Amino acid sequence: MIPLEFVLIITSVLFVIGAAGVILKKNAIMILMCIEIMLNAAIINLVAFSSYFGDATGQGFALFSIGIAAAEVTIALAILLNLNKLRKTVDVDEINLLRW
Amino acid sequence: MDILEYAWLIPVLPLLAFVFIGFFGKKLNDLNGYIAVGGVGAGMVLALWTAFELLTTGRVYSTSQTWVVLSSEYTLEMGVYLDNVAAMMLIVVSFIAFLVVVYSTAYMHDQGPRRHRYFTEICLFVGVMLGLVLANNFFQMFVFWELVGLCSYLLIGFWYERPSAARAAKKAFLVTRVGDVMFMVGLFILFTELGTFNYEQVWHALDTADPTMMAFAAFFLFGGAIGKSAQFPLHDWLPDAMEGPTTVSALIHAATMVNAGVYLVARSFPIIATSAEVSLFVGAIGGITAFVAASMALCAPKIKGVLAYSTVSQLGYMILGLGAGAFLWHHGHHVEGSIAFGAGLFHLMNHAFFKGQLFLGAGAVIHYVHTEDLAQMGGLGKYMKVSMITMLISCISIAGIPPLSGFWSKDEVLAVTFEAGDAGLTFMVLWVLGVLTAFMTAFYMFRMWFMVFKGQPNEGTRHATEHGHHKHEAPIAMLLPLVILAALAFASGFALFIGDGFFGAIYFEHAHVLTMGERLTEVFTSPLTYISIVAAVSGIMLAYFSFYKTKISAEKVVSKGFPKAMHQLLLDRYKFPVAYDKIGYVGVYGFSLLLDKFDRYVIDGIVNGIAAFLTKAGGVVRKLQNGYVQSYATLLLIGVSVIVILLYVVGVLR
Repeated sequence: MIPLEFVLIITSVLFVIGAAGVILKKNAIMILMCIEIMLNAAIINLVAFSSYFGDATGQGFALFSIGIAAAEVTIALAILLNLNKLRKTVDVDEINLLRW
Repeated sequence: MDILEYAWLIPVLPLLAFVFIGFFGKKLNDLNGYIAVGGVGAGMVLALWTAFELLTTGRVYSTSQTWVVLSSEYTLEMGVYLDNVAAMMLIVVSFIAFLVVVYSTAYMHDQGPRRHRYFTEICLFVGVMLGLVLANNFFQMFVFWELVGLCSYLLIGFWYERPSAARAAKKAFLVTRVGDVMFMVGLFILFTELGTFNYEQVWHALDTADPTMMAFAAFFLFGGAIGKSAQFPLHDWLPDAMEGPTTVSALIHAATMVNAGVYLVARSFPIIATSAEVSLFVGAIGGITAFVAASMALCAPKIKGVLAYSTVSQLGYMILGLGAGAFLWHHGHHVEGSIAFGAGLFHLMNHAFFKGQLFLGAGAVIHYVHTEDLAQMGGLGKYMKVSMITMLISCISIAGIPPLSGFWSKDEVLAVTFEAGDAGLTFMVLWVLGVLTAFMTAFYMFRMWFMVFKGQPNEGTRHATEHGHHKHEAPIAMLLPLVILAALAFASGFALFIGDGFFGAIYFEHAHVLTMGERLTEVFTSPLTYISIVAAVSGIMLAYFSFYKTKISAEKVVSKGFPKAMHQLLLDRYKFPVAYDKIGYVGVYGFSLLLDKFDRYVIDGIVNGIAAFLTKAGGVVRKLQNGYVQSYATLLLIGVSVIVILLYVVGVLR
C-alpha cells in the first residue's frame, strides 16, 4: 500500500506543473493539455482519499469527472478549431479582443 | 324663528354671489355689479338683523361641529360664535362693504370686462371677512384670515400690468405673511398648551394654564395682528396698497383687512391680559404706530397716501386702547379694562365709518380730476359740493372735534391710556404720544381738505374743468354712499347714548352702563378731554393758516436746516421701505447666497467628488481587463491561493 502522502506529493507536483503551464504556455492547445494535467491531479486525489477512507464515493466522482473532462475537451477543441479557422492562430496573446 | 340659527348664512350669501359671478359672470357686464350688490346686500340684511338680535337681548350664541379629528384628544372644529363684539363687527363690515359695492358699480364702470374679475374678488373678500368675524375658534379664524390676505393680494394687484401695483400686491402679501407666521406660532403654542382653539374653552382654560407659555402665545398672536393691521414695524405695506382701485382701499381700510387684526387682538384679549409685559408691548406698539404714521401723513404728497397713513395711525389708537385695557385688566382694574376694551372697538367702528367715507370721497375726487397728486388739485370745492361737505364732516370727525364720532372714541382711548398710566409709567408716555398724534391728525386731515377743495385751482383741476367733460361731480351711486357714511361719521359716536350706551353693549365681561347725563359729565369734567380738544383745534388752525390763508408757507418751513432733513425723512417714510429692502436683500438674499454657495461647493462638491473618484478609480481598475486570458488565470490562481492561505491562517481549515 502506497502511503497517502506519496500520492499527495505526486498530485501536488502534477497540479503545479499544470498551473504553470496554463499561465506560461502561449499555445492554446498546450494550455488545454495543462488544464487536463491539473484535472488529472485532482482526480488522482479523489481516488487516493477514496481508498484511504475506504469510501467508494470518491471513485464514483473520479469516473464522473473523467466523463465531464472528456466532454469539456471536446467543446474546447471545437472552439479552438473555429478560432484557428477565423484568426489563423492558436496563440492566446493574439486573442485579446475582449478587453477595456 | 331664531335668526341666530341662520347666522352662518351671512358669509355664505356673498360667497354665493362670488361663485355665481365667477362662473357665469363673463358675459353679464353691468349685471355683475348688481349681483354683487344683491349678494352682499342680502348678507348685510341678515347681518344687521343678527346684530340687532344679539345687542338687544345680550345673548351669546355658539354652535360647533367637529371638522378634523387629529386624535382622540385633539380635534379641529368649525362653528359660529356670536357675541356683542361679533355683532359690532358684523354691522361695520357688512354695512360698509355693501356701500362700497354700491359705489363700485359706478366707480368701476369704465373698466369693461375687468369688472367681472373685480366683482368676483370683492364678493369673496366680503364673504371671507364675514366668515372671519363669525368664527368660533382661532383656527377657523386663521383659515379666513389667510383668505382675506389672498383677496387683498388679488385686489391690490388689480391693475397687475402696472409694475408698481404688482409690487405693492406682493409687498402686502409678503409683509402680512411675516405676521401670519407669528400667528401660526401662537396657534401652535395655544394648541399644545390648552388642546383647543375654541374661544370660550381657551378663555376658561387660562386660569390653570402656564403663564409663561400664555405670554408667548399672546405675543405671537399679537404678531399676527401687527402684520394684518399694519402696526409698526410691519406698517409699510398699507401705504403701498394704494395701488389698487380706491374702492378696494376703502374696503381694506374701513371694513375688512385691517380690522381683522384688531378683531384678533379683541378675541385674544384675555390671553394678552394674562401678561403685563405683553399688554404693555401691545399698548406701546399701538402708541408708536399712531405717532409714527401720523408724522408720515404730515407731508404725504398724494391724497390716498394721507388717508393710508391716517388709517395706520388710527389703527394704532385702537391697539393702544386694547393694550391699555389688557394692562388694566391684568392689574385687577376689571371695569376700567373692560371700558378700554370697548374704547378700542368703539374707535374701530367710528373709524370704519369716517375712513370709509374719506376713501370713497377721495375716489370721487380722483374720478373727477384723474390725478392723486394733492399739489395738482385745489379749488375743487366749487365743482364738488357733496364730496366737499361730506369729507369736511369726516375730517372734523377724525380730528376729534365734539360732538362728532371721532371725538368720543379717541377721547375714550386717550382717557383709558391715561388711566393705565397710573399702573405703568410707559402708558403716560404713550398718552403724550397719543395727544401729539391727535394734533397731527387734525393738521394733516385739514391740510388734505384745504389742498383739495380750497385755494387756487392747480393744473389738474383746470384740466378737469376746462374740458367740460364732467357736468356732474359723480353719479348718484357714488354720492349716496358718501352721504350715508358722512351721516354715520357724524352720528356713530352717539352710540354712547343709545340704550345702555356703547360700553353697556360692547364690553368684556363687565358692562359699564351710564346714562347720557352721567356720560357727558364724565367726559366734560375731565381736563384730559380739553387737552385733546385743544390739540385738535390747534392742528386745524395750523392747517388753516398754512394751507388756506397761506400766512405760514409750508415750503419755506421745510426749505432748509433741520425741518428740511425731517421733511425728507418723512417723505422717505423713515426709510422703512429701504430698510425692508435691505433686510430682504442682506438677510434673505445674503442667506440665499450662502446657501447657494453651500449647495454649489459643499453638496455638489461631495456628489461630484464621489463621481469623479469612481471614474478615476474605474479608469485605473479597468486596465486589469486587458484581454489576455492568461493574466486572468494568474490573478485567479493568486486570488484563490491567498484565500486558502488566509483561511488556513485564521484556522477555518485546521
